Amino acid sequence: MIDLIHIQILSAIMFCIGVYGVMTRRSAILILMCIELMLNAVNINFIGFAAFRDFSESQRIFGHVIVVFIITIAAVELALAIAIILRLYKNKSSVNIDEVDLMKW
Amino acid sequence: MISLIIFYIISALVLIGSAGVIFSRNIVYASFSLLLALLGTAGIFVLLLAEFLAIVQILIYGGAVVTVILFALMLTKIDDFRSLSNINYWPISAFLTLLALIVLIIGIYQTKIDTQNLGLVKFSKFSNDLFEYWGIPFEIASLVLLVALIGAIVILKDRGNDS
Amino acid sequence: MGINLTYIPPIICGVSFVLTALFARKVPLASSLISVFTILCSFILFIFILTDFLSSDLNSIKFSIDWIVVSDMRITWGILLDSLSVTMLGLITLVALLVQIYSISYMKGDSRFGWYFSVHSLFAAAMITVVLVDNLILLYFAWELVGLGSYLLIGFWYEKRAASEAAKKAFITTRIGDVALLIGIILIFKSTGTFDISSIFHIARNGGISENILTISTFLIFLGAMGKSAQFPFHVWLPDAMEGPTPVSALIHAATMVAAGVYLVARMMPLFSLAPYVLDFVVFIGLFTFIFAGTMAIVMHDIKRVLAYSTISHLGLMMMSLGFMGVASAIFHLIVHGISKALLFLGAGSLMHEMDGETDIRKMGGLINKMPITAITFIIGSVSLAGIIPLSGFFSKDEILLTVFEKGGILILLPALAGAFLSSLYMFRLTFITFFGSLKNDNSKVGESPILMTLPLILLALLAIFMSILLLEISTFKGFIYFISGHKAHLNLLLIVFSSILSFVALILAWFIYIKDSKYLIDWYKSKMKWNYNLILNKYYIDELYQYIINQIIIRFAQFVALFDRLVVNDIGVDRSSLSIRFLGLRLKLIQTGKMHGYAISMLFGFLILILTWAIL
Repeated sequence: MIDLIHIQILSAIMFCIGVYGVMTRRSAILILMCIELMLNAVNINFIGFAAFRDFSESQRIFGHVIVVFIITIAAVELALAIAIILRLYKNKSSVNIDEVDLMKW
Repeated sequence: MISLIIFYIISALVLIGSAGVIFSRNIVYASFSLLLALLGTAGIFVLLLAEFLAIVQILIYGGAVVTVILFALMLTKIDDFRSLSNINYWPISAFLTLLALIVLIIGIYQTKIDTQNLGLVKFSKFSNDLFEYWGIPFEIASLVLLVALIGAIVILKDRGNDS
Repeated sequence: MGINLTYIPPIICGVSFVLTALFARKVPLASSLISVFTILCSFILFIFILTDFLSSDLNSIKFSIDWIVVSDMRITWGILLDSLSVTMLGLITLVALLVQIYSISYMKGDSRFGWYFSVHSLFAAAMITVVLVDNLILLYFAWELVGLGSYLLIGFWYEKRAASEAAKKAFITTRIGDVALLIGIILIFKSTGTFDISSIFHIARNGGISENILTISTFLIFLGAMGKSAQFPFHVWLPDAMEGPTPVSALIHAATMVAAGVYLVARMMPLFSLAPYVLDFVVFIGLFTFIFAGTMAIVMHDIKRVLAYSTISHLGLMMMSLGFMGVASAIFHLIVHGISKALLFLGAGSLMHEMDGETDIRKMGGLINKMPITAITFIIGSVSLAGIIPLSGFFSKDEILLTVFEKGGILILLPALAGAFLSSLYMFRLTFITFFGSLKNDNSKVGESPILMTLPLILLALLAIFMSILLLEISTFKGFIYFISGHKAHLNLLLIVFSSILSFVALILAWFIYIKDSKYLIDWYKSKMKWNYNLILNKYYIDELYQYIINQIIIRFAQFVALFDRLVVNDIGVDRSSLSIRFLGLRLKLIQTGKMHGYAISMLFGFLILILTWAIL
């Protein structure tokens, strides 16, 4: 049978893949995708806990509800990030974040 | 037992998709890999008896998010394949990520969690709770969406040429 | 109906302050009329309150609303109405009303006419609040506001250097007492947990305050009263405060504000009565000030300063009475003295008004023919204060002497009688030099003051004559002494005769010296006792002593502190730390490369370190 531990390990691996991607990818759009991966890993974890822990029903529902909110926030974040990327592309003709270092000293 | 086999298959799909996002040389392939990973996540949700969230996952991620990312790709120039990854950083990144993974897995095995058999969330109960008990956070989330919408428009508005 | 409106007078006076302060510059006359009107309303309300209070058989009436409530600490806006506060309310509203009417004429043509009246309103509001409030913290606020009003009015002609200096001196000197008062209030609050006056008395009576705390806090409260009532050694500010306009001196520095100290001690008498050492101290300070200020009043040449020292002296007399727990006699003398002294100051103001601000009594003389109303009312005031028998001043002083005799015995009575003799002597001296004798040539064109100024004089003079009627029993009103203290007044015939004889001796002595011009005694005094004369004329060099202390100790200490501040706090504490932060910033900013991957890697690195630390611990 599937157990909580399977879900947790899947989520951990997926999260680490996302982290690695954020650290190595150059294109802003790819970094965005990696962030979506990380958020999904977290979602899997939440649903796993809601499904397997000895919770009452309303506590389970809490796990589901928070996933709904995370999806909402992910959508928000995506919308703003895409907007920023397009603005960046307009100004710099590139979405390579190595070339964007305006926030240095 | 069958469910475990299905779980392994879906996990494999999810991990392949994720790996595709970070290793593929072509950015379009990367985005389709992302789609694979997200749909796989939806499959995991189904396995965990969260069918509503699985549907939401497919609709929002598989439908909207990947589409928006593809639009973003179309609106920007796709860079040279070689410059997609930063070669200077990858050894230290890989090392740190592995370390983090090991720490996480150790943590997972060390923590004792009381578990039970797969529990079900009734869809009607879920929707009742969402709109009664979580009604105000839900409304606030919708407000956040609205603000993000306006924010995105404001960011993208071409101020220079308007006047 | 009247009692429920007790909160109205301070509020309308405060509103009047705001209104008049806003429009003072544009329409000065209107602001003066608003001010007079509000104080008139307050006075009429006082009459209603008084009749209501007399017809109700309650001892004290309290009503309050919550202001600040923090767990079990409550601070309220509240009113405590008993015979003491009703009396004070009457005195304040009456004198303030008359003084403001007088000021309309006296201050005519002044460039800050409107502002003068708005400060008067502020003062009236604060002073009424002081006597009406039911808790110490609000009393302290009003107390400070009264001090502010005094400061503003002493320094009203701030173009004059002497006036602004005097205002500062008054403010700072009373401030010293005020700080002591605040500490005393806080001490009481610490041991009782309440600011409410009647609850404090209740707790204190049941032994809820330890004896040491009680002694210290009442002593500190008395220091506050000493500051406001200009008792030795805080008396130095009051003579200088005469730089303000004369009606101000009449209102604030004779009748009301300086009486606030006496009022405070009388109000807190249940606490003081539990602290016998402090009461002894009150007696000592009162008696000493009574005689000490009396000697100075005899030699001064400035009419207002004579009156100022006389005020200090009489406040000392009231304090002495309070020291023997003679609240009723002290308050009765407070009223009589307030009325008479206001009359004298307004009379002096009338003189100055006609003589272009001249205050030196040596340049006056024979004015009784030129300014009959001023002269007669002034004489009534001074005779009342000197204690000649049918006038009210005699009875009030006699009440105090009786208290002193009964509680303190003959040993305290004798110096007190000496002080009373001095007080008669300087009052007659002032009167004789100013109004009798030969007319100086410069003063031949002097005439009587306008009606707005003489009317308050006449009213006050009538009051000074007939105030003693308060001592009598009239239907339900069983005499003033009974009204305040609950005991019947009684007389000691021997004492009356003796003090009357002393006053007449003073009258005759003054007559011989100043009217018959027999310089013999004065010349003898000035030649043989030259050091003594100079000592007194220079106010016992107390101002110089204070100045010396300020120069030598306080300024030195301040210089040291300033040096410490510059070298240690500023150079090392502030400059060094800012420099080191700036240096650190110059180095640390290089970390901010703007490369996103670097940030992401450091974030993960930090996360790992946190996790590992947590795991190891």
